[in-house]
Amino acid sequence: MNAAAAVAMVAAGQPLVVSSFLEWRAVARELLVHDVAPELVTWNQVGVLDADLFSGAPDSAPSVDNVPAGLTPTKPAPHIPRALMDMLQSAACCRVPDRWAFLYRVIWRWQHGEHDVQSPADADGARLHAMVKAVRREEHDMHAYIRFRERPIEAGPPQFAAWFEPRHDVLPQVAEHFKHRMGGVTWMIGTPEASVMWDGASLHHTGPLMSSAADLDDAGEALWLTYYRSIFNPARVNAQLMQSHIPSRFWKNLPEGAIVPAMVSNAELGARSTGQAQAVGRKSGATIPIAPADAQPERQQPSKLDECRRCDLWQYATQAVGGEGPKKAQIMLVGEQPGDQEDLAGKAFIGPAGKLLDRVFEAAGLERREIYLTNAVKHFKWEPRGKRRLHKTPAQREVEACHYWLDKELASVKPKVIVALGATALKSVIGNGNAKLGESLGKAIRHEDRWVVTVYHPSYILRVPDEEAKHQAFKVMVDGLKLAQSLLERPPEEPPA
Amino acid sequence: MKLSDKLEILADAAKYDASCASSGAPKRASDGNDGGIGATTGMGICHSYTPDGRCVSLLKILLTNFCVYDCQYCVNRRTSNVPRARFSVAEVVKLTHDFYLRNYIDGLFLSSGIIQSSDYTMEQLVAVARTLREVHHFKGYIHLKTIPDADPLLIAEAGRYADRLSVNIELPTHDSVTRLAPEKNVHTIKLAMGSIRRKLDEKAEEPKGPSFAPAGQSTQMIVGADASDDQTILNTAETLYGSYKLKRVYYSAFSPIPQSPDSVPLAPPPLLREHRLYQADFLLRGYGFTAGELMPAAGNLALDVDPKLAWALANREHFPMDLNRADAEMIARVPGIGLRNAKRIVDLRRLRRVRWEDLSRLRCSMKKIAPFVVTADYKPAQGLASSDLLRRHLGAPQEQMNLWPELKAA
Ligand code: SF4
Repeated sequence: MNAAAAVAMVAAGQPLVVSSFLEWRAVARELLVHDVAPELVTWNQVGVLDADLFSGAPDSAPSVDNVPAGLTPTKPAPHIPRALMDMLQSAACCRVPDRWAFLYRVIWRWQHGEHDVQSPADADGARLHAMVKAVRREEHDMHAYIRFRERPIEAGPPQFAAWFEPRHDVLPQVAEHFKHRMGGVTWMIGTPEASVMWDGASLHHTGPLMSSAADLDDAGEALWLTYYRSIFNPARVNAQLMQSHIPSRFWKNLPEGAIVPAMVSNAELGARSTGQAQAVGRKSGATIPIAPADAQPERQQPSKLDECRRCDLWQYATQAVGGEGPKKAQIMLVGEQPGDQEDLAGKAFIGPAGKLLDRVFEAAGLERREIYLTNAVKHFKWEPRGKRRLHKTPAQREVEACHYWLDKELASVKPKVIVALGATALKSVIGNGNAKLGESLGKAIRHEDRWVVTVYHPSYILRVPDEEAKHQAFKVMVDGLKLAQSLLERPPEEPPA
Repeated sequence: MKLSDKLEILADAAKYDASCASSGAPKRASDGNDGGIGATTGMGICHSYTPDGRCVSLLKILLTNFCVYDCQYCVNRRTSNVPRARFSVAEVVKLTHDFYLRNYIDGLFLSSGIIQSSDYTMEQLVAVARTLREVHHFKGYIHLKTIPDADPLLIAEAGRYADRLSVNIELPTHDSVTRLAPEKNVHTIKLAMGSIRRKLDEKAEEPKGPSFAPAGQSTQMIVGADASDDQTILNTAETLYGSYKLKRVYYSAFSPIPQSPDSVPLAPPPLLREHRLYQADFLLRGYGFTAGELMPAAGNLALDVDPKLAWALANREHFPMDLNRADAEMIARVPGIGLRNAKRIVDLRRLRRVRWEDLSRLRCSMKKIAPFVVTADYKPAQGLASSDLLRRHLGAPQEQMNLWPELKAA
């Protein structure tokens, strides 16, 4: 109908006849700018069954010229948010007799500042949400439960045909879905109200062409039933649950619907002792003749470190991360523990802290590849925070348990200087759980015939928010590494400057 | 052997994998130009349900059920006397196509017994996916099972074609895997998951790079084949979620198999236990609960009440909660209020105060929320009922075990 004439029609007490959402929207806009209250309007839906959906309704309305005096616009053009418009558009597909009147009421309330009309906690809002839900549900069910049957090649296109009885007006949007899904393969869907055909290039909407599911003999269906029988686990039979998922009106058009009763009663009569399908159990079986030793996959022998069970941390980590560097490095850098990245890659100092460390090396004029890098604890300790793993400081008992491995590394590398990064490393290196970072920071101490220089852990620099503090900490690290370097030249008895 | 006989055997052998999700793939459509078919909308669709109440979304089959491993809980173990079969690549492609065009399925979930070697087996799986994608331009969903000991290069290739990859952890503890799946190894399983996660991270950092398993990775744990309790199971799940960014952990109640070996039980665990684990898992993934909150002590989840109610009954200090003040995350912890309604309540609060009637319109379970909430016009009666009393009142009758909607989401 002609939207411009709507106000005049209402004034004349005539019903407004609309057949599509777009038409309703144009009319509703016109009514809103004239501030026509919902109670004054009578809406009629073009009968779904007797009208041609694709041409508009007959336009018998008074023309625009007949607008009575006094019906000039009084309100600004409505501004309806996109989300609400989408909901209205969906709800318009819901086959309820008063759909247009209801939608107008919603939009009118919104226009008058009642924005909670959009909330499901509002009475109208609840109904709107329910209508949208019913329509989306119908679209979903149609996506899910349409079954195409293949037609004989001699019959020509469409290659596949399906029959469906939707409760709401969702065929046009469902056709779009199948267009994308079937590519160049031709098909048609028949419903009691309308049909749609895909010829491989475009969609053709027509009136009803079928009156029930096509009775086609489709070999593909037999394979599907075979699959359906086999994928079911009779030991878990629960027919009630199954039925609750698919409304009964769909079952009759699903090929598997016909075999369900027999499957259920067989399962219920049978012992239900195992999950195997009866048909499979009747076939003759075969064991695979292979010696257990030959069946073992070839794997790298896990390292002793990877098999360590000295504390519980291994259970939550991917792998132990050992040290890395020259076998006889003069400087050994000891961090706290591997982090998220290190845990996945199995390499020390490759994550954000490692990248920062590289900058420290550069600033101190040292080469990373000349230094042995390791950690006080070899498995990543963490706690879940949302979807991430958050570093957690290892407990003293874990540090002590893992000292076993650090000792081994110290014994074989025999570094002259150890650089301890942070408190955990310091405690481990000097074997004192009470050692305080602040007391040793930036200093060199003599411990078991070696120099130990303590600096911040690079992740401390990443963590402190304040730029000045970051800068300071970075400097402490660089100076510490320079100090470590200079200690290499110095005889052991001479205290550092 | 006829195709239908193979299908019978290889579908039967695949049913023990619970996952059938087909969601999370990027939007794809076929325009017919490349001769391909298939589309994904991002949302998975269950095309049918079997009489055990499980969703059928994918053609779930094994490429072969010949297997050299001897996992005790598995019907296909080498010492099991089951009929054996093997599909050719062309047969799997044909089945996928035939089923897809009839709208029975959203795609393929392909797994396999271990034949010859891990690498060889993985190559075969990848060959199917590659043929579907590159020869037939199939744009439906593909989920490939990943063989943990396979070369990471093969896993990377699998991720190019598959929407989802999964590596099954199989059992909740290292010891159980060693005992019941002697050829498997938790260490290499975790390494495989780790390598998938690193690939996913790489892809996230470089969105323009080649596609890699856009629907992420998942795993499955069998419940009730060993003596592990729910606390152990949830802790393992939490570890795996955190470490490998899994989309889902599936729990599969152990299903006794023909000629069951003595090493596994003869009876399945109660299905309700599996259901409770799914509920708890849902709370871990979506609601910000930790495993420690849900299972603070050793043992199994309560069967009489769901895990969220159990948590609320054990943590009464948070209740009754004022819905006009609490933040959305806390509101979602109220038994009977889900994430969506929590958000709706907070949205509504911006417009006006929340009242009791609003909750009924939001279809909250009024009986369940009554002891736990305060609204503008409602407060639970004085002299709050004890947790024991509430438990008896709210725990019965047993709700239906409707878990497959949860399964298909993600
Ligand atoms: S953290 Fe250290 S002591 Fe603990 S298990 Fe790992 S390697 Fe062993």
